Amino acid sequence: MTALEITGLQKNYVDSYSGEEVTAIGDVSFSVNEGEFVSVLGPSGCGKTTVLNIVAGFVNLTEGEVVVDGQAVSGPGPDRGVVFQSHALFPWKTVLGNVVFGLRMKGVPRAERDAKGKEFLELVGLGGFEHKYPHELSGGMQQRLGVARVLANEPAVMLMDEPFASIDAQTRRKLQEDLTRIFEKRHPTVFFVTHDVDEAVFLSDRIVVLSKRPSRVREIVTVDLPRPREWRTALEMPEFREIANRVNELLVDDEGAAAGADKDPGGATDADGTAVAGV
Amino acid sequence: MTTPRTEKQATAATAPSTGRPRPGGRPPGQQRKRKKGGSNTPAARAVSALWFLTPLALLVVVWLVVVAITDPPLRVFPQVGDVLSALGDMWSSGELFDHLGASLRRMGIGAAIAILTALPFGIALGSSAALSAFFSPLLRFSVALAGIAWIPVATLWFGYGDKAVIFIVWNAMFFAITYNAMLGVRQIPTQLLRAARSMGTSRLRMFWEVLLPGALPSVVTGLRVGLGYGWRGLVAAEIIASNAGLGYALFQAQKYFQTDVIIASMVIIGVLWLLMDRLMLAPLEKRTVERWGMTGGRG
Repeated sequence: MTALEITGLQKNYVDSYSGEEVTAIGDVSFSVNEGEFVSVLGPSGCGKTTVLNIVAGFVNLTEGEVVVDGQAVSGPGPDRGVVFQSHALFPWKTVLGNVVFGLRMKGVPRAERDAKGKEFLELVGLGGFEHKYPHELSGGMQQRLGVARVLANEPAVMLMDEPFASIDAQTRRKLQEDLTRIFEKRHPTVFFVTHDVDEAVFLSDRIVVLSKRPSRVREIVTVDLPRPREWRTALEMPEFREIANRVNELLVDDEGAAAGADKDPGGATDADGTAVAGV
Repeated sequence: MTTPRTEKQATAATAPSTGRPRPGGRPPGQQRKRKKGGSNTPAARAVSALWFLTPLALLVVVWLVVVAITDPPLRVFPQVGDVLSALGDMWSSGELFDHLGASLRRMGIGAAIAILTALPFGIALGSSAALSAFFSPLLRFSVALAGIAWIPVATLWFGYGDKAVIFIVWNAMFFAITYNAMLGVRQIPTQLLRAARSMGTSRLRMFWEVLLPGALPSVVTGLRVGLGYGWRGLVAAEIIASNAGLGYALFQAQKYFQTDVIIASMVIIGVLWLLMDRLMLAPLEKRTVERWGMTGGRG
């Protein structure tokens, strides 16, 4: 069953400096099945984060349609949980308070939501940290909390916006394995934005490769590596390298034309300037 | 915090207490550790109190010495002892408590109304670009006039008495709290607001759940600045529009050239402000902003 369907998505915005209308997303269509892990990958500044922000409901689309669980998206909602690169945890809430936040907003009774919150903290390896505050956790732990906070809410799709980009390389490997383990255990539907090819191949069932601006879907690459996956064995698989090389080629082909497009991928793609009112 | 601070905030005086390095990792659970060398041990508190009092004690010493050397007439400047005996007289006659009670009551009511009105207003301004664009010129205009410039109007509206003084306290505090609450909301990272919205937080619940706690570092600054303005407004308004209170005592003493009573009243006003800052604002800051790691511009 399709959990997320993006059809003919287009996004134009007016550049706040030059006043020109810019097409960030030309024409993007793809879908994510229930329980599937799909990564969106593209050259720097191609607007992959903008696609995620539109799916999340933070940014309005210009043309096209985004449907989650049979419902057209208009504004943010608890059916789409977001894991942010900046973690975006509430500093004034304890670890447990952060995990149960969404359940509290839904009106789930305290005993039930606390039990569920603890279950998901265990799942991400944060059992025993319930009463800490986010600033007392390491970056890796903070992001695991970010994942638990979304999963506890049981959204139709979990949106992840370069969640490990600000984390050091070694911890990142570990977090990717943790995420894979959680995915293999729970099978949430995941929409994952990244600029790291290996990360995308390691985590995903399919990879949507976008072209440079105005972005279109260049190709959807299926990753049929066996699960459970771990880095040690994955890196030794010839299939892994094959897929990674294939994706790299798709990206490099495209990047060649866009010489000097050396902007920060996260920042550039997020410069959509047109946040939904009040968000 | 990036919000501007004023000289009235006594930040320098409180720095030894608020600027102390936090103990790195507290154990799970919020119970205070009182045994080991944390920031809450009696010894640590005594040290911080000592640091706090030293500059004040130094001021008294300078005062003692300068007055002893120059020996001005009592009408010009009293010696420390004169002020202390004036304080004693005010205490034993009960006058002190009448004035103190009147002032504190007005201050309390004015501050409560100011907080209840300014916080929601400031947070609403911070969360709506349209609202803040509309009210910004009015806010800026009013800042120059806030407080004592309203005394003439206040006495016309409310007559001479409590209401006029409370109005002035409210007015003096309102703009500082509004402005800082607005800034505080604007400083909340967009991703945090988005996270809350994407977890189904209704606009109404955003106030308690995200906007108020998120703006708190700046709100505390606003309370500091606002309470400072409130005290000044209180004293000025009591001089003009009242027949009790510390400001009134100050003014009466001037009529009879009781410099010792004037200085005594000023000392009381200053000490009250210090106590309020140290016993109310600093603990509030410690339990919230510092506990949550929101100091030092962290997002």
